[in-house]
Amino acid sequence: MKARALLFYRLLVRPMLAEPLRTALTLLAVALGVGVVVAIESAGRAAAGSFRSSLETVAGEADYEITAAGGLPEELLAKLARLPVPISLAPRVEGSGRLAATGTPVRLVGMDLIAEGGRAPVRGQELFEALREPHSIWCGRAVATQPGQTIRLVIHDVAREYTVRGLIEGAGLDSTLILDIGAAQEALRKPGRLDRIEVRLPESASPKVEARLREALPEGVLLRPAGARTEENRKMLAAFRWNLRVLSYIALIVGAFLIYNTIAISVLRRRAEIGLLRALGATRGQVGAAFLAESALFGALGAALGLLAGRLMAEGALRLMASTVDTLYATSSPAPLSFDAAIIGLAFAVGLLVAVASALAPAIEAARVAPVEALARGRYHWERRLAVRRNLVGTLALASAAGLASLGPPLGGKPVLGYLAAVLLIAAMALAMPALIDAVARLNLARLAGVETLIALRGLRASLGRSAVLAGALATAAAMVIAVGILIGSFRETVSLWLEQQLAADFYLQPEAATGAERDATLDPALAAELARLDEIAEVERFRAYDISFNGLPAYLAAVETDLARRWGKLRFLGGQDREAILERLGTGNYAIASEPFASKHGLRPGDILRLPLAGRAAEFELLGIYTDYSNERGYIVVDRDVLLGYLPDPAPTSLALYLQAGADRTSARAAIERACAGREVRLISNAELREEALRIFDRTFAITWALEAIALSVAVIGMAGALLALVIDRRRELALLRFLGAAGTQIRRLLVGEAAALGLLALVAGSALGLLLALILIFVINKQSFGWTIQLHWPAGLLAAALGLVYLATLLAALYPARLAQRLNPIEVIHEE
Amino acid sequence: MALLELEEVSKSYRTDGVTVEALRGVSLEVDAGEFVALVGRSGCGKTTLLNLAGAMDQPTAGEVRIAGVSTRRLNDAALARLRRTSVGFVFQSFQLLGTLTAVENVELPLLVAGQAGARRAALERLDWVGLADLANRYPHQLSGGQMQRVAIARALAASPRLILADEPTGNLDSATAESIVGLLGRIASEQGAAVLMATHSQEAAAACHRLIRLRDGRIEAIEETGRR
Repeated sequence: MKARALLFYRLLVRPMLAEPLRTALTLLAVALGVGVVVAIESAGRAAAGSFRSSLETVAGEADYEITAAGGLPEELLAKLARLPVPISLAPRVEGSGRLAATGTPVRLVGMDLIAEGGRAPVRGQELFEALREPHSIWCGRAVATQPGQTIRLVIHDVAREYTVRGLIEGAGLDSTLILDIGAAQEALRKPGRLDRIEVRLPESASPKVEARLREALPEGVLLRPAGARTEENRKMLAAFRWNLRVLSYIALIVGAFLIYNTIAISVLRRRAEIGLLRALGATRGQVGAAFLAESALFGALGAALGLLAGRLMAEGALRLMASTVDTLYATSSPAPLSFDAAIIGLAFAVGLLVAVASALAPAIEAARVAPVEALARGRYHWERRLAVRRNLVGTLALASAAGLASLGPPLGGKPVLGYLAAVLLIAAMALAMPALIDAVARLNLARLAGVETLIALRGLRASLGRSAVLAGALATAAAMVIAVGILIGSFRETVSLWLEQQLAADFYLQPEAATGAERDATLDPALAAELARLDEIAEVERFRAYDISFNGLPAYLAAVETDLARRWGKLRFLGGQDREAILERLGTGNYAIASEPFASKHGLRPGDILRLPLAGRAAEFELLGIYTDYSNERGYIVVDRDVLLGYLPDPAPTSLALYLQAGADRTSARAAIERACAGREVRLISNAELREEALRIFDRTFAITWALEAIALSVAVIGMAGALLALVIDRRRELALLRFLGAAGTQIRRLLVGEAAALGLLALVAGSALGLLLALILIFVINKQSFGWTIQLHWPAGLLAAALGLVYLATLLAALYPARLAQRLNPIEVIHEE
Repeated sequence: MALLELEEVSKSYRTDGVTVEALRGVSLEVDAGEFVALVGRSGCGKTTLLNLAGAMDQPTAGEVRIAGVSTRRLNDAALARLRRTSVGFVFQSFQLLGTLTAVENVELPLLVAGQAGARRAALERLDWVGLADLANRYPHQLSGGQMQRVAIARALAASPRLILADEPTGNLDSATAESIVGLLGRIASEQGAAVLMATHSQEAAAACHRLIRLRDGRIEAIEETGRR
């Protein structure tokens, strides 16, 4: 064992230490790859952990919860309390608000503080005194820092003052406010209504208890395990996390190419050593294992460094993710980042796995070296060249398989086959790379581009094994940048066009308390009529949305004024469905239309029946049509306003769309609207502002994607620098000879830069082709199956050209140091060292 | 005027803090058409002298003139240009690029110099060394003697007037070595170039016109062989 360790140190570790810069670059590449995976995973967990809603933690875990879209009548609580079963019931009223001072969103929870005395976080004599005062609240640390403070809260469109009676502690409770249930009903405009009833069963409860409870519930009321909402939110976030996670592995895949390259170079350089060792009695297994061990060492060290890098990157990732989650999914306060055993395990697992898997081929290659063969230099490359044709056949096979996979359906709701298609395409490109380099290198470019290029290309061709891998790594990174660039560019353009078409009103009005994802803040019902009386205003359209859950996923149920939507709105239906006919029927009864993401998430088609539990009644709606919508991934079920009021009689709108009279002056109209809203906490947004805001949210959502791409590219460029360093070392004899033959130092530098340029160019050409194909898979398979958007293909030409230019520049920059090193080689020493 | 002139040339290196005096005040001249052998034990300064004579390096003191051009004030690029036009190197271990064919190896100096008609000139040189048939072979498909012939053709490619050979027969059997030395002699006699060859071999040295014995960085003796 000791002898083996010594051998390992002498033959593998020592050479690594002899080239510290190259070793450091390889480690850095692995560390970045692992770091990104770690960062996204831990940030994703923290972001999803935040859904463990404050409600669940306020008074400990319940067993079940009773809910219905639009809330429950208070009488239900009294009815359930009379049941002869040993259960305890805890009513909840919830809603969102904002701190007036900072605009920070907060979560309001109303609970029966007296009845729940034992379990509630506030208790005792203090509680009774506090309850005698109106506007008493208990809150988390993000809201107030000490009892006795007065805070101003915006709830719906009204600002009120509250006195902090005490602070509550607990994970995820920082932005939570607790108030007594009566006060909450009043402030949240839910008189006589509850949002949920939490149910606790005694430990010894028989299954009969649950059955009795279920019997007692009216139709249209849901009894489900506590925490179901959290689960729903997590499920909804799953696709987002999944796709980020997959993107986070790109840097690691690029890193895998580079580890492969490092180990392949290591094997190549030590062919004579390997032959000698074999001659001295080393077995094939020992030789192969040694190289796997070398790679594993890179993997382990890289993983350790990656954990540190991941820790740093996770902060930024979490900030970006949390803002996306808040805006698009559900208001949340992220859980703290934790680097527990699972994350550490993940880092080492992916680090070692990638290292060993990518070293497998070169290690087998090393094991195959025959003792005599090691002395016949050049044969390896020769054989490589012969395999070029066979590789092309492989390319075709992989590309066809990718084509087939891209046609497949989602598996378990995830675009697994889409990802498979993408990986197969990358593999196809990697296999085609040697042939591509070979073909380009055969061109006699000497007269065209100078001897430097000729030698550079010949060099690439001679070491096809390694230059192809290098170009492959760079091409993969470039392809991903292009593919994601096309996806985001197309998506943005699609959304932008849609916004232009969709946002028909001149102004939109929202309650100040409205947050990104929840739709529970509403406007004063009287406001619409008041605004309609203004001279400048032609029409006021009321829109109402409820947060509901449909088939175990969060969704929105919305009500529109159908006749106004027909007159003013510009809804577009998919697949040539007749807009007029659909909208005409929508207002006549239990009919609904649904947004595209909703329909594709739940696999719905026109003609399907949607069953919704509404305020204690079971309602059925026939789906008439599916319309394009890019506002939200949860998706909308839209019904007529009057029809919905029949089930949920709350007339307060979530937002208003204001249409001005033809020729009305916007500035004076704005002033008039603001006057009419005086004293109410509302947000008036013009058409243009809303559009800008939407695109800003869009860009913020994809910021993390760009960051991931940038890191993957950096890994590729680092790899390029490392590989060129190796190239300088391995080809120093040739470089020195050229100096003897009359080449100036600057020519040698140009040679190296030329080689990098040739590689970079090849990689970009291959990467562009691959990127286009990947973009199609991303847009039409992966995105469609994950999120359900229909995206029109657009070419963000300027962006792509800039990105490619940047990659090319980075490649050349990566060559500068190795090129200088080459220039500084002392040819006399090199030529005479043999 | 001699083609190669060394005037009181000294060269010292510092390696690991120790100064090594490789050459100490060497003066010599080699004329066009002359074939000169440089002999002496390993480490006596033969290779250093060749490197200075070939404008690969600058002397610590003294002056080197190649075809009348002093190397002293030339920068890296100018030295490189001088090597391209005036000097051809032949090495003990041939130093052919394995990735290039024979004719491509011969073309190399011409391509480095950016000259037109490289292929034709390279084929002519290969023909002159008797390897026209093997022009498209790769080095690993050639014998040692053939590789050294290709290397000589390469040294001649740009028609330099000074050929420097460092142990050109060191890796060859005696019969092949004899033919290589003959070839170098022909370069002097037929092409009128000055050929300076460092060698350990008595037979090779005996084939030259003149013999310069180096010892500890100094010229110990200069002998005429009488083979002019």
